[in-house]
Amino acid sequence: MAENNIYNEHMMEMFNFETTQLMEQLEEILLNIESTSIMTEENINEIFRIMHTIKGSSAMMMFDNIAKLTHSLEDLFFFIRENKVQDIDFGVLCEIGFKTIDFIGKETEKLENKNPADGDASALKDRINEILLELKEGKPSNTTKKENQNISNDSIEPLPVNHEGLNVFKCTVKFEEECGMENIRAFTVVRNLTECCEEITHEPSELIDNEESSGDIAKNGFILHLSTKEELNEIEKIIKESLFVEKVDIEKVENQLSEKKAQVDIKEKINSEIDNTNSKKSNIVNVNVEKMDKLMDLVGEIVITEAMVTNNPELKGLEIESFLKAARQLRKLNNELQDVVMSIRMIPIASTFHKMHRIVRDMSKKLNKDVELIISGEETEVDKNIIDNLGDPLMHLIRNAVDHGIEDSEKRKSAKKDPTGKVYLEALNNSGEIVIKISDDGKGLDKNKILEKAKRLNLLKKPEEEMSDKEVYNIILLPGFSTNSDVTEYSGRGVGMDVVKKSIDKLGGSISIESEYGKGTSISIKIPLTLAIIEGMKVSVGKSIFTIPIISIKESFKALKKNIIKDSFDKEMVMIRGNCYPVISLSRHFDIESDVKELSDGILIMVETESGSFCILADDIIGEQQVVVKPIPVYLGQYQESNSGIAGCAILGDANISIIIDVTGLYSQLMN
Amino acid sequence: MNNENEKLIFEEEDTQKGRFLTFNLGDEAFGLEIKHVTEIIGVQPITLIPEVPNFVKGIINLRGKIIPVIDVRLKFKKEAIKYDDRTCIIVVDINNISAGFIVDNVSEVLTISEENIVPPPEYKIGFQNNYIKNIGKTENGVKLLLDCQKMLNEDELDIVEAIAM
Repeated sequence: MAENNIYNEHMMEMFNFETTQLMEQLEEILLNIESTSIMTEENINEIFRIMHTIKGSSAMMMFDNIAKLTHSLEDLFFFIRENKVQDIDFGVLCEIGFKTIDFIGKETEKLENKNPADGDASALKDRINEILLELKEGKPSNTTKKENQNISNDSIEPLPVNHEGLNVFKCTVKFEEECGMENIRAFTVVRNLTECCEEITHEPSELIDNEESSGDIAKNGFILHLSTKEELNEIEKIIKESLFVEKVDIEKVENQLSEKKAQVDIKEKINSEIDNTNSKKSNIVNVNVEKMDKLMDLVGEIVITEAMVTNNPELKGLEIESFLKAARQLRKLNNELQDVVMSIRMIPIASTFHKMHRIVRDMSKKLNKDVELIISGEETEVDKNIIDNLGDPLMHLIRNAVDHGIEDSEKRKSAKKDPTGKVYLEALNNSGEIVIKISDDGKGLDKNKILEKAKRLNLLKKPEEEMSDKEVYNIILLPGFSTNSDVTEYSGRGVGMDVVKKSIDKLGGSISIESEYGKGTSISIKIPLTLAIIEGMKVSVGKSIFTIPIISIKESFKALKKNIIKDSFDKEMVMIRGNCYPVISLSRHFDIESDVKELSDGILIMVETESGSFCILADDIIGEQQVVVKPIPVYLGQYQESNSGIAGCAILGDANISIIIDVTGLYSQLMN
Repeated sequence: MNNENEKLIFEEEDTQKGRFLTFNLGDEAFGLEIKHVTEIIGVQPITLIPEVPNFVKGIINLRGKIIPVIDVRLKFKKEAIKYDDRTCIIVVDINNISAGFIVDNVSEVLTISEENIVPPPEYKIGFQNNYIKNIGKTENGVKLLLDCQKMLNEDELDIVEAIAM
């Protein structure tokens, strides 16, 4: 495909991006139709528009299979729209819609991985045509012409054919202003026509190789002469299928005296629909994530540099009133800048949540369970990087809930529950953290079963009598544990929950499980709003400086000698308000020389994790600072375990590096 | 298009071919392929990192980029010496992984033609032989040419060995 050189990677990216977005829209509409069993005219128009756009772009990119499939689906919805068909089996319609989405999804995935889109859609296409035929037969006579513009075959009388059996047309195609690359658009038109035309000539004659043709077409329109067996309206239809076509003038030439002239202003039809949605989006610019990351990095550098300037040791002891004033102003602006940049990266979690609808729908059909997904808090905004990595774990948890959690309706009835199972998916913003909760009203976790299996698999770390409910539930997060002994298509391969836990860990989040046997299970995921910049407390240990995320700090204090307890293994603990907390000494943990040997000499910082609180011993507290989190170099990853207690590093104002403490990691080390 | 790019890169590498940055550890002279070398800096404050083998000294801040530094002496099981103002950190980029190599001092950039490069002796005596790809003969004696890939990618065995130390 020589033309492929023209459609460089950028085009490809745009195609994938656009198609994926459209598919998401389509999915939402279809789910809506299916759940309400109402298909409004708007819905039909929207679906039609989506299919039309994808068809156009995929035809341009020469993905014939996608183009053909969307074409037939477009035909189907076209028929429905034009004939105002009401008695449609929505189930069948949605099913075919979903299958199309899946197919196109798979193809775009292939393309993203630089594989050819070679899937075969013919079976699916046949099925669509079948449905279309059925619909047509169901409504043979009373096809009412609601639109005075003739678009479809069904609503126009055949034209008389001239004696050779060939019609000769002169077509003038106008493209939308500023659509760009007119020559390629024109080429697509020609390509679309070749299949049904005997002969085509066009002006300008050189399209792809002549750069100037683009301007000519934009100015004068694209003029085609063709001879074909097809009728005028068919040709018109084909031309209009191409992207960005604004206007087509077709004249029948030669011995047709009563010259038929059809001018169709598509802008009023299809494109007006496109414009409708475009006007909604016109204020949005799509930005490459790389650029955003770069911007983020730069802001990070500015934050560091600002600290470098304002905390410059050379300024110490100077009387510099106006400098300090200016510095404060700078800091304020920097904070604002940072907020704006962060907010650019924030996107609502809605799209991730809505994908779950589809999963629940498919599973409830396959497993024959009646399940409803109730979503709330979808407007909650989360950093793009986090959202990207949240989809898979969420999907897994939802699958688990439907597959293992919700019972079938028989069992639900006998348990006096609503036969329709409910899965709740909630998101809420809780002071610097996002909490996502997946709960179901299913059978809940069976503690005894978990314990039994854990014993069999040798996963128990302490006697079962001593384990709290929470600890028991947490067993299912261990690798190699899956409560369901049957492996189903959807879940239960025993790699489930620990993978979820790992991916949540990677995001700096935590996961906790609550359950009541017979009543349901609820899984909460806490993740930080963003990974890039955090508020940190700087503490010193010997010559090193560590940063503890302020979010996890509860309090800091000097320990009194009488409150310090040592157990028989020489592990230190501290007693605060009647509670006993373990202590981790940073100097000992990280093997750093420090003058502080005794607990009472240093300062204790109490930190809170999902699973418990503990105290960190440092020499001194230096102060608060916003720090930009940088990952530990990849090279060091080969030596370090995931729970080494280091979350990353930060560059301080004096260009030194401070290690950011991973509080959760430290705690889990403490516990093992 | 890709082919062209590859060609370009290839040509660029070509001009660096046969050129080595030489440095010393005690009496021994080593060479590093110049294409891997990003820059040479003096010793900087190093932030310690726990749970790493002793030859990984920690991390440094190189203009906002955080890179690990490796003491080549310790890596080659040589005696550690105190860093002085001749001590250098050679910043390298090997397969997009940046790292700093701490060496006693850097001497010069040499061109060693292919006929003067010979494989090291077959027998593996001593730890550092694992990291020597070739031996380059020059007027000023022999340079041990390092295998950069191996310098950063440890075998399982080496890690075990290093941690056990």
